[in-house]
Amino acid sequence: MKRIYVCRDEVTGLLSALYDAWRGVVVDGVPECGIRFRGCIEQELFCEYTEVEESEKKARAVERLILRNLGWYAYKLIYQAALSTDALKGDAILGAMLEARKIPDSRRIMDHLGNAQVEKVFELSRNVGDEVHRWLQFLRFGELENGIMFSRFEPKNRVLTCVAPHFADRFCLENWMIYDETHQEYVVHEAGKQWVLVTGEELNEELAGRYSDGERMFRELWHRFTDSIAIEERRNPGCQMGHLPLWYRKNMVEFLSV
Amino acid sequence: MRIMEELSVMEKLEILTDAAKYDVACTSSGTDRAGDGSGIGNCVKAGLCHSFAADGRCISLLKILFTNECIFDCKYCLNRRSNDVPRTSFTPEEVCELTIEFYRRNYIEGLFLSSGVLHSPDYTMELIYSALYKLRYEKRFQGYIHVKAIPGASLELVRRVGYLADRMSVNLEFATAEGLKKLAPHKTRKNILAPMRMVQNGVTQNRYEIQSYRGAPRFVPAGQSTQMIIGATPETDYEILHVAESLYKKFDLKRVFYSAFVHLNDDRELPARTGEGPPLLREHRLYQADWLLRYYHFEASEILSEKEPNFNVLFDPKCNWALRHLEQFPVEVNRAGYEMLLRVPGLGYRSAQRIVRARRFGMLDFADLKKMGVVLKRAMYFLTCNGRMMYPTKLEEDYIARNLLNTGQKLPEGADGMTYRQMSLFDDVRFGGGFHEENLCVQG
Repeated sequence: MKRIYVCRDEVTGLLSALYDAWRGVVVDGVPECGIRFRGCIEQELFCEYTEVEESEKKARAVERLILRNLGWYAYKLIYQAALSTDALKGDAILGAMLEARKIPDSRRIMDHLGNAQVEKVFELSRNVGDEVHRWLQFLRFGELENGIMFSRFEPKNRVLTCVAPHFADRFCLENWMIYDETHQEYVVHEAGKQWVLVTGEELNEELAGRYSDGERMFRELWHRFTDSIAIEERRNPGCQMGHLPLWYRKNMVEFLSV
Repeated sequence: MRIMEELSVMEKLEILTDAAKYDVACTSSGTDRAGDGSGIGNCVKAGLCHSFAADGRCISLLKILFTNECIFDCKYCLNRRSNDVPRTSFTPEEVCELTIEFYRRNYIEGLFLSSGVLHSPDYTMELIYSALYKLRYEKRFQGYIHVKAIPGASLELVRRVGYLADRMSVNLEFATAEGLKKLAPHKTRKNILAPMRMVQNGVTQNRYEIQSYRGAPRFVPAGQSTQMIIGATPETDYEILHVAESLYKKFDLKRVFYSAFVHLNDDRELPARTGEGPPLLREHRLYQADWLLRYYHFEASEILSEKEPNFNVLFDPKCNWALRHLEQFPVEVNRAGYEMLLRVPGLGYRSAQRIVRARRFGMLDFADLKKMGVVLKRAMYFLTCNGRMMYPTKLEEDYIARNLLNTGQKLPEGADGMTYRQMSLFDDVRFGGGFHEENLCVQG
């Protein structure tokens, strides 16, 4: 009978489920395993559902397993795929990991795009990677009254942890904070220190709305700049939309009225 | 000239952005540099575009002129000295403040600083140097800086600015020396090519220095670029592409940019206004061909020739080449070499790389290709998988051309029979002497 592991939809949960499923297939010899997320399960017939006991220990073990056997490149793609919104990402990652046992050089697993599960992991990670790249470009910070640079965005995938290292390097001497409205997570960076991920806190809307005195002027300067840089004879909103879809523009200064 | 007194930064920014926008190079790519922890900023190899303007062009850098006062009188330029426009200049402090404040809000990837020629080329270049020095050493800015070398400035100044910038560029403006002489009387081929050669040699030498001495300063790490104006002079596409190719080969340029000529001034040396707008399709085709030169192992002489000196309006250059060379097709996906895969319309270099890697694990078929991101709509006429084509197709130029046009794909603007050139009695582009290699700008 097919065994399905149920976990929470976040990295530790998924990795713990992978740990159990991997043991299920490799050690216990269960013919078919699947991974689903609590809250979005479509019940299937002839399946046995098992709750996963999540732990950091299991997650680390799976990370080590992937890094040791599949290499850094595959680890990066799998990690990105794990951040995707897809409901069946767990099955794809498990499938790719199992497929890697069958080929002569497991470290080349992500080149094996003829396999459907590997292809899916590749696809998901590309999707997440693209979104990360876009947010690196389109995220906007505003200076609050207390000097903190604050940014909010609504990503589709859970990309916050992929976005943060870039800004930590770039603005290493700034106090900044990014708020992910979709998943209600924060990244907080204190000047000269490591960034941290914060979950389960509520945003103080009042504090986050109080911008510093200079902020207004720079917003307007930027507005003017983006308006006057466009060449009227070449006007092409379709092209603009293709590069910068509307849903990214929600918090972008140049598309908000001053 | 109108004398302007005490403009606010807001007004200055508007004027000097407006004056800089016809410069097309706005990339932030080519160098990877992590922040060193002492200031602000880093660089990303792939480049980042922080916004897109209403004309669809990316906004990556704060693109401004240092000043729009100019002693030159280039016919096509908004800031030529004979135009009556409001003139103003930034101070180095203002440039630094704008750059830093925009940068820390993640609006921009860095600074693109160009300038009109104030008093003399050397004087202007020194102003630029002082602004960049302040930005790099006082504000500890480690983001991207693209700076223009002013034609005619002393090479020593260009060299010093090169140590502060990531990318430098000198605009070639026109493919032929006559074009330059006619429309930019104050610039000469020599003044443009000398700094270009100097930067090239500097980069080569710097490569050696970096290997030999730890902590050697980096000279123009993202290389140099240039731009040509398309459609203001009667050059053919072949001549332009030929010049671009020699620039890549002889001057190690990273990019050549093409800028569709926008009518700003009325001047008898400029082509008559036609009401058709800038030649955007021609510019687009040039960029496509440029990509073929840089990433797809094509030669300029394969894409265009003296007999066929202009681009096909309906097909992109690669498709056009494939239709002319059907004897080399169809190509077998599972066996063909990487370079041949690159020549298949619809296959980009990324898909070609993926194919080469994936086929080691087993035979690929059309379904696999589709998943990898190959545009089968075009590629299917030129490919076989395991000896089979996707659908039964005839390998005839007319048949394929007709089908490619029927895909319902939106043709680029201007390709609906309306071309970008005014019909005239002298419609044959070879009229009047044709292509002479010695006229091209990079010779000699």
